[in-house]
Amino acid sequence: MNENAEKIVVARGLTKTFHVGKLDVPALRGVDLVIREGEFLALVGPSGSGKTTLLNLVGALDRPTSGELTVVGARVAELSKRERAELRLRSLGFVFQAYNLVPVLTALENVEFVLELRGMGSERRARALEALDELGLKDLADRRPAELSGGQQQRVAVARAVAARPKLVLADEPTANLDGENAEVLMHLMRDLREQHGMTFVFSTHDPRVVAHALRVVTLVDGRVARDEEKPGEAPHEIVPGIGKAPEPPRV
Amino acid sequence: MALVSSKYAFRSVGRNFRRTALSILGIGIGCTLALVTESINRGRDELFARMGALSGAGHLRVVPQGWRLRRDPRLRLADAKKALEAARSLPGVAAVTVRARAQVLLAMGTHVVALEMVGVDPENEPRTYRFVQNLESGRYLSPGERGAAVVGRAVADRLRADLDDEILATVVGKDGDIEAALFRIVGIASTGSEDLDATICQVNLEDLDAFTGYASVGEVAIILEDWRETESARAQLAARIAPGDEALTWGEIAPDFQGHMEQDKAASRFIGFFIIVIVLLGVASAQLAAVLERRREFAVLSALGMQASHMVRLVLQEGLTLGLLGGGLGFALGAPLVWHIARAGLDFREYMGTSYAFQGVFIEPIIYGDFGVWMIPYVLFIALGATLAASLYPAWFAARTDPAVALRVAQ
Repeated sequence: MNENAEKIVVARGLTKTFHVGKLDVPALRGVDLVIREGEFLALVGPSGSGKTTLLNLVGALDRPTSGELTVVGARVAELSKRERAELRLRSLGFVFQAYNLVPVLTALENVEFVLELRGMGSERRARALEALDELGLKDLADRRPAELSGGQQQRVAVARAVAARPKLVLADEPTANLDGENAEVLMHLMRDLREQHGMTFVFSTHDPRVVAHALRVVTLVDGRVARDEEKPGEAPHEIVPGIGKAPEPPRV
Repeated sequence: MALVSSKYAFRSVGRNFRRTALSILGIGIGCTLALVTESINRGRDELFARMGALSGAGHLRVVPQGWRLRRDPRLRLADAKKALEAARSLPGVAAVTVRARAQVLLAMGTHVVALEMVGVDPENEPRTYRFVQNLESGRYLSPGERGAAVVGRAVADRLRADLDDEILATVVGKDGDIEAALFRIVGIASTGSEDLDATICQVNLEDLDAFTGYASVGEVAIILEDWRETESARAQLAARIAPGDEALTWGEIAPDFQGHMEQDKAASRFIGFFIIVIVLLGVASAQLAAVLERRREFAVLSALGMQASHMVRLVLQEGLTLGLLGGGLGFALGAPLVWHIARAGLDFREYMGTSYAFQGVFIEPIIYGDFGVWMIPYVLFIALGATLAASLYPAWFAARTDPAVALRVAQ
């Protein structure tokens, strides 16, 4: 970890409790975590350990019950619904397990949509095409999600998440619905993007092959950080031929 | 370059073809019914205004001040010449006539009838009073003809009189004396309504003046080419007549009849409104189902940073697209129907006979719908207004989507 890099996420004593009927179900029980710019971090842990809850909080989709959480300089607990939406739009990118592309829009339009939301003008189409090109999908830009394979859909979802060059990309089980080969391809592409654009990636996963790509692995158990391991150096990875661009020297 | 959000809204309408088709059909049928109802309403307004005007009131009438409250036939205009000139100078005037009235007793032998005798200008009266346009028997009054009268069939029957019979009229004259005069029946009018027939008794204005001693005009009646110009013509007329006179519309002259017409109109507007509400609820239900089906999608859009206001706009845009398509269908179905009703009319003779009278106004039983440019903005207003209103709740529902909850539920 580069100790001089900007802190993108700072969590101190973070808790989240869900109220189910009359029951209080604690999902996070005091998480302390700092994520710096340029990290490629995997959140692992058994089901129910709080991975998705933590991602939702870091993604400003939800508010913590207690504790302190700062994401890209903004204190999430103090933000209104509108301000959290603005934070997500300007600084965050999301990749979901089930791709969640808009079925009535083409791959290009799905990517363009986010750029349009950000108020981007005439240059948004070129930017969307560039993002699709980076994910090796330029030739499939006019296809709708139903005409794409699962792997291709997830790559479109990644293109959508990174097209606006957010500071932080959050991915919840991004490879869970993919076969091994597509999962590998996706992880390589995400690492390429991180290296090319200096974006920070945080993803939750159960898949040990995916974990192998992470440069830092945070293990959650029962809503607490049980282990926080950093790999000593950049793990080697191969660029899949024909997909994506060759990596440039890392900026971070 | 079209906005992606517009494409999204437009294409979302086509996601569930059957639901969309049913919604469009519902809106289309609602618009058709609303269009036909409004066309008949407008046609009926025109019919009632025409009937009211031609039943003696005129679209406009200049009367002496105070007549509206007292309805005293002895009142005469302050400046009849000025009133007549003002009436003739109005734009869009089809006919103008003068009249005077007197309460008289008509008698023949031992039979007596009390009614309002009207002194008229025989040249112009048939153009403003439809009941003397076609007489049952005899002929109408001639200009300058003295001692002649046209009466209604019921008057003749009650007096046991017929054509060429002489009837005695008595009246309280200007100085308070009882005056009498003989009139020969030259024509008998039959309107089809006994009530109306019992009110008709017309003589030459000069005869009435000489008979009563009130040597002046009691009213100037005006028929306009377009009844919708009544209010603006009244304003112009009021500015041109003498201070002691006032200009009234046919609705003010026959307030009960106008009230009946307004009541009728309100009832039919309520039915139209009810139709729209039913359509609105149907569209709201379909839109809500569409939003509920896409709850996860709205959660994703929210997660990507879409603001609630943007989601509201998207759902409203979808509603407007439905409204536009439904309105188009409504116009395509409704325009030929309205065209037919405007040409052939809606014939109520089977239910109400050849005609009926209400409050002294004779009403034809055939209503012709109004076909015109108004139909386009009207359909657009109904279709877009209804779908916009129907989309408000689904839009609000979409905007309230909590992305964390919706995505958690979806998973």
